[in-house]
Amino acid sequence: MKSARGLISAGLMTLCVTLSGQAPQIPTAIPGQAPPVDLSGYWSPVLHEDLMERGAGSELADYGGFPLNEAGRLWALSYDPSRVTLRHHQCEAYLAPYQMRALGNFRIWEEREEHTQRLVAIHIWAQTTEGHRIVWMDGRPHPPAWAPHTFRGFSTGQFVGNTLVVRTTHMKNGALRRGNGVPQSDQATLTEFFVRHDDHLTNVTVVTDPVFLSEPIVRSNDFYRQPVDPGAWLYACDDGEQILDRAKDDVPHYLFGKQPFAREFAARYKLPLAASLLGGVTMYPELATRLRTVTNVEADALLAPIGGRSPETSKGVDPEPHDGSIHIWPVRDNVYMLIGDGGNIVVQTGDQGAFVVDTGEGTMSEKVIAAIRTLTNKPIQFIANTNFRREHTGGNAALGAAGQDPSLPGSFFLVQSPRGVTGFFDDPLKHATMMAHVNVQVRMQATGAPAGAVPADTYLDDRRRKFHNGDAIELFHQANAVTDGDSLVHFRRADVIVAGDIFTTTQYPVIDLKSGGSVQGLIAALNDILERTVYRHQGEGGTYIVPGHGYLADEHEVVEYRDMVVIVRDRIKALIEAGAALQQVKAARVTADYDTQFGANTGPWTTDMFIEAVYTSLKAAPAKR
Amino acid sequence: MRPAVTTLAMLFALLPTFAFGVLVHAQRGGRGAQAAPPTPRAAAPFDLSGQWVSLITEDWRHRQFTPAKGDYAPLPLSPAARKIADSWDPAKDQAVGEQCKAYGAAGLMRLPTRIRIAWEDDTTLKLEADAGTQTRTFHFSAPQGTGGDWQGVSSATWDAPRAPFAGRGGGPSFGGSLKVVTTRMKPGYLRKNGVPYTANAVLTEYFDRFDVPGGDSLLVVTSELVDTENLMTPYWTSQQFKRENGTTGWNPTPCAAR
Repeated sequence: MKSARGLISAGLMTLCVTLSGQAPQIPTAIPGQAPPVDLSGYWSPVLHEDLMERGAGSELADYGGFPLNEAGRLWALSYDPSRVTLRHHQCEAYLAPYQMRALGNFRIWEEREEHTQRLVAIHIWAQTTEGHRIVWMDGRPHPPAWAPHTFRGFSTGQFVGNTLVVRTTHMKNGALRRGNGVPQSDQATLTEFFVRHDDHLTNVTVVTDPVFLSEPIVRSNDFYRQPVDPGAWLYACDDGEQILDRAKDDVPHYLFGKQPFAREFAARYKLPLAASLLGGVTMYPELATRLRTVTNVEADALLAPIGGRSPETSKGVDPEPHDGSIHIWPVRDNVYMLIGDGGNIVVQTGDQGAFVVDTGEGTMSEKVIAAIRTLTNKPIQFIANTNFRREHTGGNAALGAAGQDPSLPGSFFLVQSPRGVTGFFDDPLKHATMMAHVNVQVRMQATGAPAGAVPADTYLDDRRRKFHNGDAIELFHQANAVTDGDSLVHFRRADVIVAGDIFTTTQYPVIDLKSGGSVQGLIAALNDILERTVYRHQGEGGTYIVPGHGYLADEHEVVEYRDMVVIVRDRIKALIEAGAALQQVKAARVTADYDTQFGANTGPWTTDMFIEAVYTSLKAAPAKR
Repeated sequence: MRPAVTTLAMLFALLPTFAFGVLVHAQRGGRGAQAAPPTPRAAAPFDLSGQWVSLITEDWRHRQFTPAKGDYAPLPLSPAARKIADSWDPAKDQAVGEQCKAYGAAGLMRLPTRIRIAWEDDTTLKLEADAGTQTRTFHFSAPQGTGGDWQGVSSATWDAPRAPFAGRGGGPSFGGSLKVVTTRMKPGYLRKNGVPYTANAVLTEYFDRFDVPGGDSLLVVTSELVDTENLMTPYWTSQQFKRENGTTGWNPTPCAAR
């Protein structure tokens, strides 16, 4: 009877449409409703446009038709295609916009809820890089700003008339154009339109990227329907050594103004140098007029940062919720990320007490404790600090006092050192045990932190290990990175690394020179993270990295961040070797291609402070590792 | 009882399909006709009118500049077409008044241009391009003219997915595209560097309007050119345009052979 009522209802609806007005309004389908057009089947791309990009790869310095802003143009000019020889770049998948332009077969199918047959999702499988996109059709919301990013992003769709409209967010940094460095940032969003004309499918992509584009870029991709399964769907990739004995801090790139092939494209096709470098105007009919007014000096100036400008600031979304709440994001297994009190907090739960990494700024500790209580009814047993800075230790006192370490009462250690292993001189039945590298303890004591906030369970060497809640937890000291007391915390079974301020997705790394930080130590620490990660598939997933600030990441975000620090270091180093003073280095705008992603001109850590820290770090004696 | 109810329900569900067919049949002048069918203009599923500017984001070098002779990738040219293209002589074209060869219907929409679309009457759409100062006319009624000029003869329909057995009216549609089929074009250039198409070429285009939420309105023209003499396969491309408010930027220019 239920299905019969459904058919009657469908019939009435159809009749209503039939008898309605003569100029139809384009209807918007409600979530889950059956699609007005069937996109499912096997599709192959028509490669009658942009064959060079989609085949051999784009030519260097061919940025024509891309509305790159200055940061985007400079990022691309700095890019050396041999960067893909680095292990962590070898198997990277394509971002969703380029994925739709890639070679190889596509398959589209529907996912329906078994009992209601409502449309849950439309799946798109691309052979190249085994790109699996899921377009959710059930009306679910997009994830919050602190959720992980993927190459394909998070997509939701809706039929508008005969068109599938898809919105995608949470994509990673990557290539907007394949092979020549035209970048797309992790702040980009994608709107797509899929429309079918018989056996011809057209996919229109609109990429909006406040970091690298001055306006949206619109491209379209054509597919023809394959009547039978083409049978080729896989794209195996494993990384390996391509260049032996390369230093770990060697990232192929070109210094600003030193891209040796920057003029090759224009010369080969007898075009003005500026033609492909002018950004947004290159898309429009006005290009010809504009080119008539560009002088050679102006064209040459496009190959390097424009002088005399203040640094740009980040165009990224602030991942902090700022809503007075602590938000919980499940990372994997029994490991959770807590967001809302400054630095990110990690909580591991199980049949023992909670193991907490970092405690936030301490302005919302009661809510942090309440959030932890929703995850476990066990006490907070351990607290580990990744460094001594306030965003990560501010809640030590409150969280420590809210916990207890039941493993201590009656133990040998407590007998030998009463109350000495928890927060200083606190009763283990009334306080969690707090651990960190010894330099955290030293620096917190030096700043006059209350005894109950200072870790007492310290380690001196490279590694501290502990098996807790069924997982092997390791702390790895990272000497002279942000400070001289940084630790990575690795939950080995869950495969989650807590990075502290060694890695963030929101800002240039803090290098606290006065507290023992250095740029070389920071690069070494980032490489140490990369030594421990394993991606799940095509350069993403696998080991999760919790940044000190920002969204949950994997090795891709870390390697991009490592590349950035190395590249900026190399630029500053080259200027120092050329005799530049600090002010000259700042004037050279050595971070111009990263400022729209990480830059700040106000606040506790500005672009100028970062440049100065790198400069000073390099001028000083090399940091010991 | 249960099977009977289900069968009844299925019949009821299919009823509107037949009802629609009868309705459309009646509208088209069948016995007992009550109302005239909507004009193509009234039946338009979306508004195409206004000024649109091309977004040259693909095949950029080939479209913003005139490629060198011999630069034909990735066009599926036949050997015969390649031979013709290899003899391209723009000076000669200019001299004999054939400078508009690249501005015919098969090439026009890929040039950097602004276009204006407007209803000339209830059954005719006019598309003007400032590149080469060209005008295309799309007829929803019987095609007008004999062709033989750069823009040929274009017949237009509103195209939407419909079930083949959904009744004479084709069943209800949701949204749709403007489908334009152009034939009888004067032989011209598919690409400015002399890539030829013949008078027998058939150009099929779909015009779709997409409104980016909170953003621009886009016109995407998906085209298929079939020219068995010059092309080994159909040539498929899609061109995008962005809607502009007002008339700024409209700049009619004469054809140029280079």
